[in-house]
Amino acid sequence: MRNSLIGLLVFIALAITPLFVGQYWTGQLTNYLVYGLLAISLSLVWGYGGILCFGQAMFFGIGGYIMAVFTKGMIYPDLTSSYLGLLAAMAGSAMFALALGYFLFAGRGISGAYLAIITLAIALVLERLMNNWYALGGYNGLLNVPPLKLVAFGLSYELWDRLPTFYIILGIVAVVYFGVTFLVSTPYGLLLTAIRTHPDRLSSLGYSVLNLRLSVFSLSAAIAGLAGALFVTLDGFVSPTLIGFTLSTEALIWVAIGGKEMLLAAFLGAIFTRTAESWLSEIFGDYWILILGVVFMISVVLLPRGLLATPIEKLMRRRKKK
Amino acid sequence: MSELIPIILDASSYILILVLVALGLMIVFGMMGVINMAHGELFMIGAYVMVLAQDLGLPFLAGVLLAPVVVAFFGLLIETALIRHIYHRPLDTILATWGLSIALKQLVVLTFGPESHSVTLPIDGSLEMGAFSYPVYRLVLMLASILLICGTFWLFTRTDFGLMARAVIARPATASALGIDTRRLYRWSFVIGTALAGLAGALVAPIISVDPQMGLGYLVPGFLSILVGGAGPLAGVLAGGAVIGGVNNLLSVWISPVAALITVYIIAILIIRLKPEGLLGGRRAK
Repeated sequence: MRNSLIGLLVFIALAITPLFVGQYWTGQLTNYLVYGLLAISLSLVWGYGGILCFGQAMFFGIGGYIMAVFTKGMIYPDLTSSYLGLLAAMAGSAMFALALGYFLFAGRGISGAYLAIITLAIALVLERLMNNWYALGGYNGLLNVPPLKLVAFGLSYELWDRLPTFYIILGIVAVVYFGVTFLVSTPYGLLLTAIRTHPDRLSSLGYSVLNLRLSVFSLSAAIAGLAGALFVTLDGFVSPTLIGFTLSTEALIWVAIGGKEMLLAAFLGAIFTRTAESWLSEIFGDYWILILGVVFMISVVLLPRGLLATPIEKLMRRRKKK
Repeated sequence: MSELIPIILDASSYILILVLVALGLMIVFGMMGVINMAHGELFMIGAYVMVLAQDLGLPFLAGVLLAPVVVAFFGLLIETALIRHIYHRPLDTILATWGLSIALKQLVVLTFGPESHSVTLPIDGSLEMGAFSYPVYRLVLMLASILLICGTFWLFTRTDFGLMARAVIARPATASALGIDTRRLYRWSFVIGTALAGLAGALVAPIISVDPQMGLGYLVPGFLSILVGGAGPLAGVLAGGAVIGGVNNLLSVWISPVAALITVYIIAILIIRLKPEGLLGGRRAK
């Protein structure tokens, strides 16, 4: 529960941030929250589930495309509900992950380095595919994706303004964060630890390793799909860059720098890295990417648990002593 | 028939280059279980050494000799500063070398600019044989690749160094108990792998456009070649390279480069999934 206290403080801090920063930064921060959601999904599957997915953005991208196609009315012109779009995006990503996961993990399955290379290759294939799928906009992607439209009690409200959008996104991210935090504190979380460390022993205790892997893979994909769907409503367009290799590896860097075994650290890793990128790339120019690469290397070698997770853990341990 | 010959020659030269790149990866992966994501960037640095050599007015051959030396030096530096500390965490090597690859790429952008460079062909002529003609340099390139591949095989199967290296691959603990300095062997294998990447980059530089993003285009097919062929025996890389490079090249000509890439990756993924030990067998990854 200590973990959730720190988490709560972080979300309260995020909630009051718009009071101190201008419109522009509020908008930026909204984007970073969505990236944070992607980081949470990757942390769940990688740090907790032990599945190193080098192509997490494929679920993000699939969610984004489904949301765009739905809310633009490309399937049913009358059915453009945002809720339905979000639901379809999550379901679509989860289904894809289920099928892909079954293909990858069933039977002898593949894991470790092989899995990393294969997921990387799949992300590259999907990116190429979307670049050439002209019905879905091809290289240019789909433009004019409408913003989120909230409908409740007969009222409807489109999220055009930055402040309400920020709070709605923050709310969604908070719900997912605390939901997943709760989930990994249940016996299911214990099973995930077991699957990560000793899958063979787990199966000898009568658990289905395959089903567990599939469940965590699909759940993580659904969260990534949700993030992608939210992202396209913010930006107003979806393009193949959302599905591919670059975003996948960026997400990997956020999560590794933050700390993959701690949802909060992974989430903050995304937000801090993106914020640092906006600030520092102005100061350092092209040197920023060089710095990021070096920081990433150093954090992997010296602090494998993550740059942010290490101090947060210290903080928690100190509280425990009292 | 005469239209077919250049296509086959193109495919063969692509396969040979791919095998050359993959061979370096394979030595590092097969031996230490280290996935070197920066291998593509080392290949790129080899090509940039060539660009530099050309700008300085050095002869082509000087560039070819300089590239592996410079890149091997990089390799030594990388092994000492980075890889040595994470041998026992194979999955983390993917991440650390990925960071390295980003840093190296950006370093090249900062020194040479993001635009692409070209290296002039050292041998301009083309071989005329009846109905078709083929650039001589590509033939030289193929010959050089074959020699290099044979040389690497010779090193690993016919020399004391190779014997020790294979002992370390098969039984690291026993090998070290027998007095083989595994640390030193790891280091020099890594350096040899990087030198091969640098040499490959230098040799290929005249026939491709040299830009900071060129590494990835060889890294992923290189890895797929290893996994498809099998990470155990050295010959696996030949089989894998032939499948990946051959299918990619032929489909590019017959259908389109995009369709070829997608098909090749899917074929590779299917083979790796259904036959994880690779076409030629061997041991599975740790």
